[in-house]
Amino acid sequence: MRSVHLILCLIILAVAAFAWIERKPTVSQFDPTIHEGFKAAWAKGKHFASNAERDAAFRDNWNGRVHISYWEKWGSFEAEACQKMVDAFNESQESIFVHYVRTSQVDRKAMLAIVGGDPPEVVGLWSNNVRPFAEADALLPLDEWMAKSGLTDDHYILNYLLLCRHKGTTFCLPSTPATIALFYNKDHYRLKADKLIAAGCDPNRPPRTIAELDRYADAMSEFHPDGTPNVMGFIPTEPGWFPTSWPYFFGGALWDANTGELTIDRPENIRAFEWIKSYANRYGRQNLSRFQQGFGNYDSPQNAFIDGKVSMVLQGVYFPAFIDRHRPHLKYGVAPFPTVDGVPGPRSLMNEDVLGIPRGCKHPKEAWTFLHWVQTQGLPIVCRLQGKHLPIRPSPEDDRKFRQGHPNRFLDTFDELAKAKHSFIMPRTAVWREYADEYRVAFDHVWHWAPPADELEGLTGEAHSKKLRELCRREIVETLGRMRKHLEERQKTVKKREAMRDGMGAR
Amino acid sequence: MTGNLRKNLTGYGFVLPWLMGLTFFIAYPFFAAGYFSFCDFPPMKGPMFIGGDNYVELLSDPIFHRTLGVTTMFAAVAIPLGVLLAMSLALFLNAKIHGQAIYRVVFYLPHLVPTVVVAVLWMWIFNPEAGLLNLVLRYLFAVADGWTGLFFDIDRLAGGTGSLTPRAGLLLLALVPALLAWGPLARKIHRPESRARPVLATVAVVAIVLAALAIVGALLYRFAPGDMKKIHSPGWLTDGDPFPAGVPFAPSWALWGIIIMSMWGIGQMAVIYLAKLQDVPVELYEAAEIDGAGWWRKTISVTIPMISPVILFNVVMSIIGAFQVFAAPYIMTQGGPENKTRFVAMFVYDQAFQYHRVGYASAVAAVLFLIIVALTLVAFRLSKRHVHYSAR
Repeated sequence: MRSVHLILCLIILAVAAFAWIERKPTVSQFDPTIHEGFKAAWAKGKHFASNAERDAAFRDNWNGRVHISYWEKWGSFEAEACQKMVDAFNESQESIFVHYVRTSQVDRKAMLAIVGGDPPEVVGLWSNNVRPFAEADALLPLDEWMAKSGLTDDHYILNYLLLCRHKGTTFCLPSTPATIALFYNKDHYRLKADKLIAAGCDPNRPPRTIAELDRYADAMSEFHPDGTPNVMGFIPTEPGWFPTSWPYFFGGALWDANTGELTIDRPENIRAFEWIKSYANRYGRQNLSRFQQGFGNYDSPQNAFIDGKVSMVLQGVYFPAFIDRHRPHLKYGVAPFPTVDGVPGPRSLMNEDVLGIPRGCKHPKEAWTFLHWVQTQGLPIVCRLQGKHLPIRPSPEDDRKFRQGHPNRFLDTFDELAKAKHSFIMPRTAVWREYADEYRVAFDHVWHWAPPADELEGLTGEAHSKKLRELCRREIVETLGRMRKHLEERQKTVKKREAMRDGMGAR
Repeated sequence: MTGNLRKNLTGYGFVLPWLMGLTFFIAYPFFAAGYFSFCDFPPMKGPMFIGGDNYVELLSDPIFHRTLGVTTMFAAVAIPLGVLLAMSLALFLNAKIHGQAIYRVVFYLPHLVPTVVVAVLWMWIFNPEAGLLNLVLRYLFAVADGWTGLFFDIDRLAGGTGSLTPRAGLLLLALVPALLAWGPLARKIHRPESRARPVLATVAVVAIVLAALAIVGALLYRFAPGDMKKIHSPGWLTDGDPFPAGVPFAPSWALWGIIIMSMWGIGQMAVIYLAKLQDVPVELYEAAEIDGAGWWRKTISVTIPMISPVILFNVVMSIIGAFQVFAAPYIMTQGGPENKTRFVAMFVYDQAFQYHRVGYASAVAAVLFLIIVALTLVAFRLSKRHVHYSAR
């Protein structure tokens, strides 16, 4: 019996020891004032030469600071970049200390925290969160603070500031921006120069129109003897992150910004979907799906573009940093994504990460101090370390400093796209989340849809192609029409409910 | 304080923590959700009563219909399949074989693995190019195709005109020596100490699997040549095509993937069957044996009636579980392709946390609750005639 007790005690001790070793880090661990005694002596001895002075100053003002938390979405080197910006802020003054908290699904968790009444002081969202958060009354308006501290529209590239506004009120401010462009593998262009020339393409430059892109893609694709792809020139579904952008390269749009009307099934958009479907028809949707299943993660050497499986992809300003991490010697170029003949360019989707102050946070004033510092001094740190351009208009001197030794060689291209006249932002409608989700489903449907075999039976050559195009078009028109109808119903419901709430408020 | 009162208070004191948990974490959210289902409720703005509008909207919401269809399809396939496989597994684990305890542990272990881990693991297993499942399928079909080609006229099958080749006559001829050999072979196999037993059992299982695949292959060549090609190496989670093609309401390949994955956790169900199996009185089997019953007859007439209450329990739990499936498809497919693996629970989550429509999500949850209650009642009603309670 004794031995049983002894074993039980040992187990409890082992569990306690394990729990202590594996304990979660607490905020107090960041507090230098608690590192007294042996720990402090050890830490001092270790870092005396470099940090002693700074640590001492830090310790002196630690308890006098207001501690605020900042939830952000990034991981990996992007998180490190953001942490460095936060560190710079913490060192720049002695009254506030920002705790950077890395959070996955930050928008959903932030909303729960806001509803629960215990949100962080600053939250890093995506620009498409601005409207739903603003409408839910979950963020504090920033215009008054901006006016007081002299932050005006001129400080920003206007589209990036517009992404932060809802019904004329600024609810967020930019953190890091993103534009997208065509990445092309220069080695593939060189190796397949003969094929490209034979197809009427210039191997020394990227395609400038969609028709050219298709010819380049055809010439650069390689297949195994059984017809399955080995290397693909281009696939609209790789990486498939910006499906809602395709219509804009065909002169289309997903909504009418003036009337708020949803325009998913306008002719240019249908044309974009036909173009997407043409890839599935040409190379076989099953073949392409299986081919894509063999790709590795985005942030890995097995990324389709980095690994040389796909020669051209539509990607963002952040992508060169990932290429440099996994295959620094890859020879590639970046150019504006082609548009269809007659549609002016260059153009790009403009997107960004934004910072907001949640309603109900404990220290909104300190949060604004941090936000203001980020807008005036922090953005160059984080944007540079993440390999991105700036969402603001810096002074010529600051701009020169920012560009000097910037890790992204293609910064100018992305910067120009950000300022381009025809660049576009995603619809700012109340049902955008549903819109984007349904769009993806419609996109999937069109991509995977197989035309009825009996309608194509007996047809060959041009007659077969013509009939196939006709059937696909019919399916696309029906799919997009259904989608518009459903979303319009939703939009009506939202408006009706808003009116009801307004009516109740008025009473 | 009287003894009785003190006793009662002590009792209530002990159950108080549980009662508080029940009140605050189950009863309150349950009734609150019921009320919210009649409200428009963006989280920051508070609920606004709108009557039955959410329910009316549900009637015409195509995405809700799709998710309900997917969930029902999953339940219709996964529940019977799960019950059948778990029961077979329990019968196997109940047999007196070497290493019985190890097998029991092995089959129960998957149930202990968290769903997220299982989902990630199965994403790799289902990878069409590098996945384990397709690797096995390719090898199996390499042999099975040979059998199909040997016994069936594939070209004519695909055209829908022919069936067996003359070579299939060999099958019939092979039956004669097989029947002749069966007597002495069976006697040998029935001896527990026979060394030939495991070898023959393995050969028999492999032959049965291959023969089954050959027949499946022939049927597919006949009715769905496209599926025949695809079954050699399916796209699984990325493929939204129905299988078998042309069959109304057939699950997509992606949904089949989720169904197959869900079978990995049947160990729990099998252990419950096993407990009941060991409770079946030996005398009943002895009496059946005296009456000349073989293994099959004993299973049908003794085992299944005796464990029928547990079958009912497992069916009811499976119904509840099937309508709550969330984590696996959320991680593996995010509802795609084309919403063909979007379950109702995912729809509820999206409405509440993605679109901030708590009222609408509550209405869907209420409908889901009513469906589960209705199906459970149906299961109880149908079971009255077939479930045998030995204590009554």
